[in-house]
Amino acid sequence: MRKLLNKSIRPLLVYALLIITLSIPVYFYIINKIWVSELDEHHKVTKQKIEKQFNSLNQQEPQLSETIQLWNILQHGVRIKSVDQSLVKPDRFYTNKRFDEYHNDEEQFRGLESYITINNKPYQVIIETNMEEVDETVIAVASVALGFFLLLLIGFIVLNRQLSGRIWKPFYSTMKKLESFDLKGNSDIKLDKTNTLEFEQLNQVVTNLINSNVSSYRQQKEFTENASHELQTPLAIIKSKLDLLLQNPALTKEQAQAVDDINLALSRASRINKNLLLLAKIENQQFDANEWINIGEMVNHDIDMLSEHLLSKHLKLEKNIPPNISIQCNRNLFEILLSNLLINAIRHSPENGIIKIELNNKMIIFSNTGLNALNPESLFKRFMSASSETPGSGLGLAIVKQICHRFNWQISYSFIHGAHSFTIEF
Amino acid sequence: MKILIIEDEKELADNIGNYLSSESYICEFANTFSKAIDKVDMYHYDCILLDIMLPGGDGMKILEELKKQNKQEGVIIISAKDSLDDKVKGLQLGADDYLSKPFHLPELAARIYAVIRRKQFGNVNLIEQNELTIDLLAKTVKVNGTEVILTKKELELLLLFIGNKNKVISRSALAEHLSGDIADMLENHDFVYAHIKNLKKKLGDAGCGNYLKTIYGSGYKWEV
Repeated sequence: MRKLLNKSIRPLLVYALLIITLSIPVYFYIINKIWVSELDEHHKVTKQKIEKQFNSLNQQEPQLSETIQLWNILQHGVRIKSVDQSLVKPDRFYTNKRFDEYHNDEEQFRGLESYITINNKPYQVIIETNMEEVDETVIAVASVALGFFLLLLIGFIVLNRQLSGRIWKPFYSTMKKLESFDLKGNSDIKLDKTNTLEFEQLNQVVTNLINSNVSSYRQQKEFTENASHELQTPLAIIKSKLDLLLQNPALTKEQAQAVDDINLALSRASRINKNLLLLAKIENQQFDANEWINIGEMVNHDIDMLSEHLLSKHLKLEKNIPPNISIQCNRNLFEILLSNLLINAIRHSPENGIIKIELNNKMIIFSNTGLNALNPESLFKRFMSASSETPGSGLGLAIVKQICHRFNWQISYSFIHGAHSFTIEF
Repeated sequence: MKILIIEDEKELADNIGNYLSSESYICEFANTFSKAIDKVDMYHYDCILLDIMLPGGDGMKILEELKKQNKQEGVIIISAKDSLDDKVKGLQLGADDYLSKPFHLPELAARIYAVIRRKQFGNVNLIEQNELTIDLLAKTVKVNGTEVILTKKELELLLLFIGNKNKVISRSALAEHLSGDIADMLENHDFVYAHIKNLKKKLGDAGCGNYLKTIYGSGYKWEV
C-alpha cells in the first residue's frame, strides 16, 4: 500500500521527465538555429565592411596585394584572395569540421564564401567562425535539463512531505479517532474542524453515521437494562405467590409437582434476566478493575461450591492449580467468569466424564469430555445454546466472552482428543 | 415482632405480609417514600424490609434517616437492581442484609429471623428447640448436649428450616439458599436431596426428633 500523495506524485514525475527529455532536442534546435543565423548575419556584415573599407583605402597595386597579404596573416578567420572574374559565384554559407591547430582539436566552423570587388577587381572572401559542436551543445542542454529535473524531483518530494503533513492532517486525525473509537465506550466522537471541503464533508458523514449508531446502540442497551429491571418485579411476585401456594394444606401431590416445575422454569427466566442485566452492565463499564485476585483460591472455592454436582454426575476432576497466581481485575466479574466456565463444563460433560483445570501465569484452561466439536462461530453468541439436550440460559459463554473483552483477555475454544477446551489468555 | 414492609408493588408486599403473618410477625405496609418516613419516625419495628426504588424518593434516604435518629431496627434491602454498588452503599449506611428480586419467601423469612436474632441476642445467640441447640455465632449444633458435626451446607439448610418453622419450602428455594445464583444455572435441584438426607440422618442418629418432613414428594417442612 502506498500513500495517496505518493501515488499522484509518480505520474507527475514521469510526465516531467518526459517533457524535459523532449525539450532537449528542441532547445538544441533553437539554440543552433539562432546561433547559425546570427553568425551568417555577422559574416555578411563583416564582408560588407571589408569591401567598403578596402575600397575606401583606395590603394593601387602592388600596395593592395601587400595589404591583402598582411590582412590574411593578421586576420585569422577571414581570408581574401584575388580570383578571376569567371570564377565569381553567388554567396555560399556552409558548416564544416576540421582540425584546428590552435584548439588542437577537431572543431566545427560556420563559414561564408563570398566575392567582393575591390578597385573593380573580383576577390574571394572566406569568413569562418568557430562554433560549438553539436554533441557539446546537446550535452550542455541535457545537463541543464537534468539539473532542472533534479530540482523538480527534490521540490516535489519536499512539498509532498509537507503537504501530507499539513493538508492531510485532518484526515489522519479523523482516522486516528475512528480507530480508537469504541461503540461500547461511553464517549462521543469529536472530529477536529478543518477548512478543507472534502475532509469536512467526510467528518460530517462519519459523525452522523457514528452518532446514529451510538444512539441506536444506547437505546438497545437501555432497553435491555430497563426491560430486565421491569421484569424483576413480576418475577418476584410469581415466585412469592408460588411459595404461598405451597403452604396451602389442600394442595395435591400433582399440584405441588407443578409448582416445583414452575419454580424451575422461573429460576431459568430470572437467570436469563439477571444475565442480560449483567451483560448490559459490563458493556456499560460499570465494573472497575482494581482488585488483585488470587486465581487459585477462587477456583478452589468454586470447585468446593459445585462439588456435589461433580459427585452426582460422577465426574472426575483433574486440576493443576499452583497457588500464588494473582491477577488484577474485578472480583465479582472474575467469580462469574470462573463459575460460568465450571458450570458449563459440568453441564456438558457426560456421566463419568473428566474435567480438567489448568492454571499458569499466562492462562487458564477449562476442558471437559465431549462428543462432538462445537461451532466456534456461534459458541459465544447470545442465545446460541450449543446443545439442545442441556438448555442453559444461552448467555453463560456470552458473558464469559464479554468479561474477557472487558479485561482485554483472549478466549479461544478448541476440541482435541474428545475434549472441549476453553483457554483464557490473560 | 413487628415488621415494616416498604414496597410499592402491592402484590409483592401482600405476599410477603401473608407469608410472615402466619408466623409470630405483625406486618405493616408503606408503599411510598413519605409514608415510609412517617412510619419509621413514629413507631419502632424489629425489622424493616426496604425496597430502595420507591415512588417519591430514594430508599437510601430512609436508611440515612434511621441512622440519624440512632434507631436500632434491623433493615433488609430488597431491590430489583441487584447492583453491587447499591449493596455496598446500603450496608455502609447501616442495612443488615441485601436481597435482590426475585427471591423466595422462605429465604426472606430466614434472613429476617437471622437479623432479628442478631439484633436481640447479640453475643449469646442460641436457638433452643426441645433437645436441639444451635449456637449461631460458634456455628455449632448440639442434640441433648452432644455436638453433631454438620457440613456448612447442612447447617445452612437447618437454619433455613428454623427460620421457616411449619412452612413448606420448595426444593427450588432450598437450592437457591445453598448455591445462591449458581443454583438456577444448573437447571437441576436434585443435589438438595442428598444434603437433606444427610442432615436428617445426622440429627436422627444423635437422637433428635423427626421434625423434618417431606411434603408432596418435592417440598420439605420443619414441623414443631
